[in-house]
Amino acid sequence: MSDPSSGAAAAMRRTLASWLSAPEADSRRASLPTVMLFLAPALIVYAALTAYPVLRTFYNSFFNVADLASSEFVGWTHYAEVFKDKTFWAAVRNTAIWSVIGPVLDVVVGLLLALCLYAGVPFSRFLRVAWFTPVLLSYVVVGIMWVWIYNYDWGVVNGLLRAMGLGSWAQAWLGDPRFALGSLIVTHAWKWAGFNMVVCLAALHSLPSEVLEAAELDNCGWWHKLTDIIVPMLWPTLLNLYILAFIGKMKVFDLVWIMTEGGPVWSTETVSTYVYKRAFNWNTFDLGYPSAIAVVWFFVVVGFVVFFNVLFRRRERMEY
Amino acid sequence: MTFFSRPAAWPGLGPGRRSAAAIALAGTVLALIGMPAVAQQQTLAMWSHWPDEASKRSFIEERVKQFEAATPQCKVNLQFVQKADLYTSVKTSVRTGQAPDIFWLEPDEIAFAKSGYLEPLDKYIDLANLEDWAKRAWTWNGKVYAMPQEAYSVELYYNRDLMKKIGVTPPAGMQMTQAQFADMIKRSVAAGITPTATGVGDRPYPGAYFLQEILLRKLGTEDYEKLLTGRLPFQDPRVIEAMTWVKQLVDAGMFPRSMATMKLGESHYYFHTNPGALMFPIASWYTGRAFVAPEKGGQPKDFALGLMKYPAMDGSKCPECKTLAVGGSYVMYARSKNKECAGKMLSSLATVENGNKWMESVLLQTGVRTDPSRITSIYAPYFKELQERGAGARYFIGTPLHYMSGKCGDTFAQVLNRAFPGGLMSVNDAAVQMDAACKASS
Repeated sequence: MSDPSSGAAAAMRRTLASWLSAPEADSRRASLPTVMLFLAPALIVYAALTAYPVLRTFYNSFFNVADLASSEFVGWTHYAEVFKDKTFWAAVRNTAIWSVIGPVLDVVVGLLLALCLYAGVPFSRFLRVAWFTPVLLSYVVVGIMWVWIYNYDWGVVNGLLRAMGLGSWAQAWLGDPRFALGSLIVTHAWKWAGFNMVVCLAALHSLPSEVLEAAELDNCGWWHKLTDIIVPMLWPTLLNLYILAFIGKMKVFDLVWIMTEGGPVWSTETVSTYVYKRAFNWNTFDLGYPSAIAVVWFFVVVGFVVFFNVLFRRRERMEY
Repeated sequence: MTFFSRPAAWPGLGPGRRSAAAIALAGTVLALIGMPAVAQQQTLAMWSHWPDEASKRSFIEERVKQFEAATPQCKVNLQFVQKADLYTSVKTSVRTGQAPDIFWLEPDEIAFAKSGYLEPLDKYIDLANLEDWAKRAWTWNGKVYAMPQEAYSVELYYNRDLMKKIGVTPPAGMQMTQAQFADMIKRSVAAGITPTATGVGDRPYPGAYFLQEILLRKLGTEDYEKLLTGRLPFQDPRVIEAMTWVKQLVDAGMFPRSMATMKLGESHYYFHTNPGALMFPIASWYTGRAFVAPEKGGQPKDFALGLMKYPAMDGSKCPECKTLAVGGSYVMYARSKNKECAGKMLSSLATVENGNKWMESVLLQTGVRTDPSRITSIYAPYFKELQERGAGARYFIGTPLHYMSGKCGDTFAQVLNRAFPGGLMSVNDAAVQMDAACKASS
């Protein structure tokens, strides 16, 4: 029989004791049980509502899941199908267009609005509130409102065109594949311009005033002041806004679903709407295939997050 | 010696106390025996569509009240939910055993039965009270899976006043020829009146109603069924001919430009109130929304509603053909813990008496057998006209989405329901896309 005070068992006991006892070096450090006590609720919620669903989606993607109790293992079949699925690629193309172009529009509009306020345009207090208000509206409200705005017969857009004698330009903006995606991008930019405006405005106010004053003393024109001083100094902020918007648009769903449901002829289909359709709208109960699409797109989004982190060599961890 | 008098069982108790204890215990046992009557009371969860269709909603609420009064051991927790939300919820909840005991479905969701989520109703309801064609719409592997409350035919409503305004008089048989119909469309457009009100913003089928009825008449029931099941290509010359004619009408301005985003409810308003359209190709459940007070979105009291037959193209194989379909039906969840009550509830709906009441109050067909001679209503003239339009008809049971599913159904919704009538796609493109999606899935 070995000596209980020596060997691996004793080492484990000492380690356990050190974990469970109060720390000696730094009295501010909490013990493991205390840490766990505080972390447990958050960990449980995270595990139940985030980690488990994600892992389960990975798992489901290898099955035909008509019922959770009886699934049929199909291996990589769904993944092979995804890459041959024309509608999936149409959705990828639309999502990519939206993710690349949409953030540019968001950031540029947000910056312009912020510059207006920064320059002290009349009624700037009112405008600040008015421009920010769309951010507070839900996608449902925004979607329904803009469906009316784009309506061919009585919508504001066509009404204005007709009033200006440009009636021939009137379109069924959401009913024509040539314009539908662009119309959605504009609506999305309208909703989020206020958020970008507030961030840009905060960044503008934090710019060192001596640099701007020096530029004014050197008779620097407003265009050069904007392009050579303000934008370069705001660049990290604008970049962060772009990346945030890019990631958000890779997952866009609500607005599309309310306004077009992916139509006409898949011209506004996004990966998220396609996953939803395959899971809940088609006359099939298989959750496996939509899970496979979701997994593929999960890795694409994660890949872009890693790419941006590496590309811009950010030290701080980005939060999305 | 009885059990209750055994001294060993009652140590320390005198005879009087023993009697009291025995009485108390007996009372408890009796109470426990009596309890099952209370415990057996079941509360059914029942989800129905039609939250904003007053006549249908009232009908179901009234039947539930009567059922609860006649069957005190069964209570019904009835909820009305919009169709899209209802489908999303039940598709999620059936997988986890959380679905309501009874819920609303249409036959295009027969996949619920195929996946084993529905309880066959053969032993719960009197199948003799259902129409044969309605039973067929819900039959899978020889079992009937739903109580077909609603049935409808695909009709062509029109505004009599606007028809007069453009100088058109419908023919005696109420079915126009190809040339007459095309001429009427041109006259309507020339008069600044939208020929047909149609909105596909929230439904995957209304845009295809006109084309599907033309195809049915052109092909006849057998070939039309082959077309819907992928056994006849959309590139068949007869189909191309029909689509080409419809495309000509589309290009002439048959459908409203706002069709893509207009919702079904809005299309009703577009037809009868603002801006007003000449025709409305829609199922006979039109009445569910139209025959309510105008302030609730119904048609104006003096609205001159008329019904005509769909036109038949020259050389049509079956000009008298017409679509008849089962609509909203009630099904029982296979994992329901209250099957007895759920069965009684569905059985109470499936009676000839209730079939008559449905037709009388909702003014709509039903899959339950009826006795038309007993039906009376303030809308009797409308109902008479509806019957006249169906007289001599050869019915085809089911709409395209009852036959198409998956990619084929999605392509139908995108192409034939939206893009083709919207003038966004050529005949050839539409046919090729339909064949690519539907022949592959057949």
